Amino acid sequence: MLGAIILKEWLKIRWVWGAALLVHLGMLVYLLLAMRHQFQVEHSEMIWYWAFELRRLLYTQIQYLPALTGAVIAAAQFGPEMLGGRFRLSLHLPVRGDLLVWSWVGFGALMGGLLALLDGAGLYWIISTWFPHEAAESALLTALPWLLGGWVAYFGTTLALLEPSRARRAVYAGLTLAFLALLDQGHGYQEYDRIMPQLTGLALLLLPAVILPAHRYRHRS
Amino acid sequence: MWDGYEAEWDYPFGAIRFAIAPYVDDRGKMSAIHVDRITHRYGQRTLYRDLSFRVPEGRVVALLGKNGVGKTTLIRLLMGFLRPSGGSCRVLGEDAHDLSPATRARIGLLLEGHLTYDFMSIEQIERFHRPFYPGWRRELYYDLVDRLGLPYSHKIGNMSCGQRSQVVLGLIFAQNPELMILDDYSMGLDAGYRRLFLDYLQDYLNQGGKTVFVTSHVVQDMESLVDEVIFLQRGGELLQMDLADFRRDYRCYAFEREGTEPPRPDALIRSVDTHGGQPRLYAFAERDGVEKHLAEHWPGVRLGEELAMTLEDAFIGLTGKY
Repeated sequence: MLGAIILKEWLKIRWVWGAALLVHLGMLVYLLLAMRHQFQVEHSEMIWYWAFELRRLLYTQIQYLPALTGAVIAAAQFGPEMLGGRFRLSLHLPVRGDLLVWSWVGFGALMGGLLALLDGAGLYWIISTWFPHEAAESALLTALPWLLGGWVAYFGTTLALLEPSRARRAVYAGLTLAFLALLDQGHGYQEYDRIMPQLTGLALLLLPAVILPAHRYRHRS
Repeated sequence: MWDGYEAEWDYPFGAIRFAIAPYVDDRGKMSAIHVDRITHRYGQRTLYRDLSFRVPEGRVVALLGKNGVGKTTLIRLLMGFLRPSGGSCRVLGEDAHDLSPATRARIGLLLEGHLTYDFMSIEQIERFHRPFYPGWRRELYYDLVDRLGLPYSHKIGNMSCGQRSQVVLGLIFAQNPELMILDDYSMGLDAGYRRLFLDYLQDYLNQGGKTVFVTSHVVQDMESLVDEVIFLQRGGELLQMDLADFRRDYRCYAFEREGTEPPRPDALIRSVDTHGGQPRLYAFAERDGVEKHLAEHWPGVRLGEELAMTLEDAFIGLTGKY
């Protein structure tokens, strides 16, 4: 049964995920070329000065990519379920509703996670090509809130799409945007290091929360 | 045999009355569907109040009613997608709002408009459904969809309404459920495919022990298919009868009036149709009874001959044209 559930989710997101993969790869290639170009037209000392004295981030091109990807994957997964009330078809399947919804979001989060992993690995490799590995580790830690933004955008969009009540949908959308804005307050290196565990814990609460709109969808009057 | 239960218990804060209707009908058949005094509202509008009926196991029951009486809403209530304001619905012995996965596997559900996953192909949708149902009959699905003459890679979203309906009905037959709930199965099907569906449904019923609860706008199909009919009218008035009893007892008579008003529906006259050519009145009564009733209450009205009716005529006679 799990295979069938995954098959359906894959069929829904395969084009979107494939396109997202190309965009992520494209952005990493762009980042690589931009970095190489910088080192060709500027002295290394100048780039070092920008990066570590003026504390300018050199890889902001990928900052909003995870959040955008999370929202798009959620829309591809749950948009078709909500159109015309197709969610009822899934709720009639002989599977526990909560396990079904968690399987869906588990798959969606995994596919988003693969892209986040690609971003992280790509960023580490690109930075470590020109800088010491400490700088690459710092780049990863700096990018962590951006990657967490992907998780928040995915689950926030999922909540807003599954929710049958318009008022609650607006609340979910507002909370998601507020959370994303909170993750977008930093403009330097590793500014979220001390708060990341708490923010991650808060973002993890979105995982059980998706059951609520699904429950309300089934049990509305 | 469980005959239901009624009791009134006194508490310090007042009396609470319990009434649980029996799940066995007067033929001794268990109910596959048991709707007990449900009330449902959309905002201020009450769609039903204290609506009750049963669908006995092994029977084919049609829910008939004009547009807007709440047939689809009733099916949503039965499948637990809506919660009634009052009363209860039980399906295969379980609360409709809390059907276990095992019970859902025993119910084949056709949602209005042949709702399905448009992003899947003919082959993918069968592959998706198969693992959920242990008694899956793949050959029935492919027997139906092969008639479409489309490649298995054809996407459902690119099909016509009739083609899509055939895929969806094929999935329900392949599931081989104990209970089929079909909301307007005939939508988008041409006469040939409707007949094909009825043939398949007959084969399904011939296995024995199968129950079908069906709504349709094509009333004439019901004539050869169903055992019982439930007529649902606006406001939630409901009439449930064996189809044979209904065909035998519900009568249509021509009438003429001599300068007086036409008769109006009352305790005996079910409805009166003065639109179109010949005025007609409908009643669950034989000629003698109607003549006597007219002579007593509508002396200016002369009863004409009894007119033969199709099931569709009788449906319109019962629910009205408009």
